[in-house]
Amino acid sequence: MTRNTDTGDDSGDAVADGGVAEGGQRSGFSPIAALNERFGSDFVESSQFWLPPFLLVGLFVYGAIIWNLLISLTDFRGFGTPDYGDLDLQMYSRALADSGFIDAAINTFILLVGFTLVTLALGLGLAILIDRNIRFENTFRTIYLLPMSLSFVVTAQFWAWMFNFNNGVINIVITSLGLGRVDWIGNPDIVLWAVMFALMWQFAGYAMVVFLAGLRAIPNEHYEAAKVDGASTVRMYWRVIIPQLKGSTISASVVLMVFALKAFDFLYSLVGGYRPPNGADILATKMVREAYANLNWAYASAVAITLFLMTLGIVGPYLYYQYNRGNL
Amino acid sequence: MGTLELDGVTKVFPDGDGEIVAVDGVDIEMRDGEFLVVVGPSGCGKSTTLRMVAGLETISSGEIRLAGQRINDVKPQHRDIAMVFQSYALYPHMTVEGNMAFGLEESTDLSDGEIETRVADAAETMGIAELLDRKPADLSGGQRQRVALGRAIVRDPEVFLMDEPLSNLDAKLRSEMRTELQRLQDELDVTTMYVTHDQTEAMTMGDRIAILNAGELQQVATPLECYHEPANRFVAGFIGDPSMNFFPVERDGETLVGDVFDYSLSASTLDDVGDVTDLTLGIRPEDIALAGDSTGDHTFSTVVEVVEPMGDENTVYLRFADAPEGETFIATVGGLQQVSAGDEITVEIPEETVHLFDGTSGEAVHNREIDE
Repeated sequence: MTRNTDTGDDSGDAVADGGVAEGGQRSGFSPIAALNERFGSDFVESSQFWLPPFLLVGLFVYGAIIWNLLISLTDFRGFGTPDYGDLDLQMYSRALADSGFIDAAINTFILLVGFTLVTLALGLGLAILIDRNIRFENTFRTIYLLPMSLSFVVTAQFWAWMFNFNNGVINIVITSLGLGRVDWIGNPDIVLWAVMFALMWQFAGYAMVVFLAGLRAIPNEHYEAAKVDGASTVRMYWRVIIPQLKGSTISASVVLMVFALKAFDFLYSLVGGYRPPNGADILATKMVREAYANLNWAYASAVAITLFLMTLGIVGPYLYYQYNRGNL
Repeated sequence: MGTLELDGVTKVFPDGDGEIVAVDGVDIEMRDGEFLVVVGPSGCGKSTTLRMVAGLETISSGEIRLAGQRINDVKPQHRDIAMVFQSYALYPHMTVEGNMAFGLEESTDLSDGEIETRVADAAETMGIAELLDRKPADLSGGQRQRVALGRAIVRDPEVFLMDEPLSNLDAKLRSEMRTELQRLQDELDVTTMYVTHDQTEAMTMGDRIAILNAGELQQVATPLECYHEPANRFVAGFIGDPSMNFFPVERDGETLVGDVFDYSLSASTLDDVGDVTDLTLGIRPEDIALAGDSTGDHTFSTVVEVVEPMGDENTVYLRFADAPEGETFIATVGGLQQVSAGDEITVEIPEETVHLFDGTSGEAVHNREIDE
């Protein structure tokens, strides 16, 4: 309340300022009054708070993106300075002809879609189980969420050990069951799925927490009404409860997809270098390798811009959705 | 058909080491097509009783029978009942039509066409035909209420269960819906169990009222029986607004001796009382009459403390002349009677309107006379 009153006072001041500005208006044009008119009464007055971060973000985020775009249009490689006089799309056509790039793009896409869908499904399943008034609910919730709190570097190391061909716990279990060893990391047909599994293990808890919050927001009566209406438990979840989790699903998907795109840290830590295992190269690792191992600055920038557009393709519709719902 | 019997139904909730008895051996028999209102103060177990009938709570002991079949262990989805929730519990992601069709889709094998027809019919009955394509969020409270009722009636169940369905409506809409619900129930002739804490709803809507207190059934009777022949002091005090006045009295021969007044009894009343000496005298506010003079047997001089004019009548807070300030009882007098605070007036408490309750058990020992 006090705060509201303060705001009221502020706008009162702003009006007083506007009065002064209006005095100027008589003699012609006042930019301050015009800005306030356009963006709200305290636009100029409050600018000292939002303007510095606004400019910094503008420079370091959007400025960097634009600079990156410029570099991707040059032929800059090795040492020296880029030549901005000769801009073309050569790097992009080179990417389309590069089978390494195509493979990385396909892997990125598989990881993006596969990892997100499986993690969402698993998280939803866990959330529904945990939401059914089980014992030790908080303990389970913490256990499932714990992997999320670990760094990619740590979990990648865990999984590198567990996936180890000779001594990894997974192969030990498999061989003790009488099955042959699997080369989880070394086999290019398997490694992407192994990585996806490890990422899913790490993020299912996060999806669970988001869904759990969504489930908690659904009143008990909806479950009861569905039961009295004659729905079985499965039908109740399918037709009444899960459709109400649309918002949770969308926010969880966006976060998961963005993490899938930047799974670079995981792959980098898995092998301890720029060259991920054959069959697990994604655009993020390709980009860093081209830039810092091969010094193909312009080409790496082109890969970066591709990745940026993919991210935009995911986040853009989400922001639009939120904007339409009046949340932005 | 839809006869519903509750036979010694008990619900015990565990509470730490001990347990709480929420519903204690309730016996109710409902005829097919009867409208029974279950009423009682908060926490009396009325909603728990309803939820046990719905199958949303397990039954600790006792039996619930629907059309003669024991349904204790039947899952809610197989009980052929429809329930209206206090919060309506409409599915927010479905249209009104989807909400109404859901129960039929889940509980019957009807074809899509038949479901559509039945939904349209029920919507027509409820006057919500033009709302079928809307989502619950776009409806007003009254419209949601109608949709919730429509969702129940479209099922054509054996029993309707209603859990305070009108309590989220404003007063005017509530009294409209009260009438409409009664009309609807009459038309559909479906056995209905209706839970409320509002004794006006109980009095006006039900064929019979079941009054619960602290998990125990106090009385099941028609509204007028509950009003004029309450089984005990709780029922007498709960039904009626403003509620009955109670005075603790000791019987001394033919006279009741209260703190500040004596009240003599006739022979026929004394017969009812028998040998009980510790009694409570009850008198409804509207039975207290203004007396011209203090000559009668049952007239008392009183002081008016507060007057609440209601237009058609005045609610008057009276105090016996000898009673300490603040110890008032309530009388209702005609709206045109001029009474104001501080007045000294004489009132009559006619013997034929007096109720007497056992002072310890609360059981009614004598109820007022009714002109048949």
